[in-house]
Amino acid sequence: MKLTSKYNRTTLLIAVIVIITAGIAYYLSISYILTDQVSHLLTGEEKEIFEYVQANQELPEVYDSDVQRIVLTPVGEHHITRRYTDTPFFNKKENSYESGRALISSIRVKGQNYKIQILESRVETDDLIEAIFSITIGMILALIFVLYVTNRVVLRRLWRPFYNILAKIHLFNLRDALEIEIVPTEIDEFRQLNEAVSAMSLKVKNDYENLKAFTDNAAHELFTPIAIINSKLDTLIQQTELSEKQGKLVSDIYHTCGRLTRLNKSLLLLVKVENKLVKDEQQINMKEMITGMVDQFDELFRDKNLRVNCQAEDLTLFTSFYLMEILVNNLLTNAIRHNRVGGLINIRLTRNGLMVQNTGGGQALDSEHIFKRFNKSAESEGSGLGLTISQQICQNMGFNLTYKFIPPLHSFNVAFNRA
Amino acid sequence: MKLLIIEDEEGLRESIEDYFSEAGVICETAKDFPTALSKVSLYRYDCIVLDITLPGGNGLHILREIKEKNHSDGILIISARNSLDDRLKGLDMGADDYLVKPFHLSELRARVTAIIRRKTYNGSNVLKFNEIAVDLLAKEVSVKDQKVKLTPKEYALLLYFISNKGKVISKNAIAEHLWGDGIDMANNFDFIYSHIKNVRKKLTEAGCKDYIHAAYGMGYRFSD
Repeated sequence: MKLTSKYNRTTLLIAVIVIITAGIAYYLSISYILTDQVSHLLTGEEKEIFEYVQANQELPEVYDSDVQRIVLTPVGEHHITRRYTDTPFFNKKENSYESGRALISSIRVKGQNYKIQILESRVETDDLIEAIFSITIGMILALIFVLYVTNRVVLRRLWRPFYNILAKIHLFNLRDALEIEIVPTEIDEFRQLNEAVSAMSLKVKNDYENLKAFTDNAAHELFTPIAIINSKLDTLIQQTELSEKQGKLVSDIYHTCGRLTRLNKSLLLLVKVENKLVKDEQQINMKEMITGMVDQFDELFRDKNLRVNCQAEDLTLFTSFYLMEILVNNLLTNAIRHNRVGGLINIRLTRNGLMVQNTGGGQALDSEHIFKRFNKSAESEGSGLGLTISQQICQNMGFNLTYKFIPPLHSFNVAFNRA
Repeated sequence: MKLLIIEDEEGLRESIEDYFSEAGVICETAKDFPTALSKVSLYRYDCIVLDITLPGGNGLHILREIKEKNHSDGILIISARNSLDDRLKGLDMGADDYLVKPFHLSELRARVTAIIRRKTYNGSNVLKFNEIAVDLLAKEVSVKDQKVKLTPKEYALLLYFISNKGKVISKNAIAEHLWGDGIDMANNFDFIYSHIKNVRKKLTEAGCKDYIHAAYGMGYRFSD
């Protein structure tokens, strides 16, 4: 819900409640005053009757009007209590009942008690209530209209700087040189927001630059000693007096050195991919890439005596070549590494995705944990980062990497999610 | 053959110098930017091995200096920076090749040899080792004028051996050269052995001497 409509709804509700309350209060007080006035009128009439009787010792002539009627009834020795009542008033002219108010009183004339009933129509009061009701409704409608117009025109104009800032934040991209500049506005809150966002974007960019620099430095600093170890080993094996046993030792060091290199490369690659530092999007012939890689791995398949079943449809994707190569490489490497001797690998490329299946352990892997960093089986020689990197690459490319176990096949599926 | 090694890390510089030094190869070294700059402005080399991150300056400036003066020295960049940008930048500026640290010395040697071979191209692009002749353009191998059919990997392996003749090459280096560093699951390099066996068999069947010798169970040496 938009802020303006939320705000409107609240103000409207409050306004309607206030207007209705005010209408009721207005009605009650007017009604009270008018009743009081009618009562006053009735008392006046009564006084006139009393005065007339005192002066003439007889009852006055009474007549009816449209709004008033006086009825005098002999009641003998019966006593009448003086009181005001709400009584319907019959309007002869209109031939209908209207609301009315009466004063019932009594008087003694020539030893006879008379009941005096003075009736007054209150049709005017009803008219007044109607008027108050219409005015209230009218005001509610007017208020809704005014709020609507205010929202459309004034609020929209007021909030314009906010939407400008929002649009700028949406467009903000770490890799662009563009910064969030300050939009001039008179409103303090928006200016503060703008300044805060602008400062934050600068800081984020700075941190990002630092991170990139760190990645670079880490690579250089770590790879240099590894390079030296490697080169020293290469020099060492040129010596002729190495024994078979020493050769085995050197071989183990080589092997470990290679693992260290790959681990470091994987870590740096992961940082790079997570920070989207790789940008080499291009048209990639997927079929060509996958069949090429399967050829490349041929010796490894044969080494484990694996049967490889590769079906690839023609497909071109526009994405990073470097990352796509790593993704396919990781999936194939996994399928070989975790396979058993004489096992099977299925590779299927369709327009919708890439599936790599392999035989291996009889148990399903925990699909929640396999994509986490350094999650690997005890006997694995891998870095423990392969699937993490693969998943991150898929995420960058807008793909979806999932794992399923369909006995006896472990199946990794990349859904391309193409529109 | 004259070689200049520009590398600030002493350990690496010494190893490279050691590996390349043999009869007929003169190795010079530079450990920082000013030394390197004065050497490239005074002398000419067949190939320069150039580290990008140097104390006192960026190796790319040295590359620019050489290219601006139109010198024809072959240039191989060695760098720990494996970003595509850096690689493209180096090659765009006229470097002949780009090798990422860490690397095997045999790989460096193969690349340097390839650069020098391209520079000194004299019409016949045929590489000879005793009775073996490798036609680099047609990618064909013949022994005593008799053609030997090799697969692309076997061809690459033979070329790698000839470039590093007399040196012991570890199985790791061979695996990485032939399969790239995607080859990280192979603890045992038995599949390399089958390649070696095939090359050896094809060459000896064509009447060639067996030059491939196993070394300490961890590598091979190609020599007389």
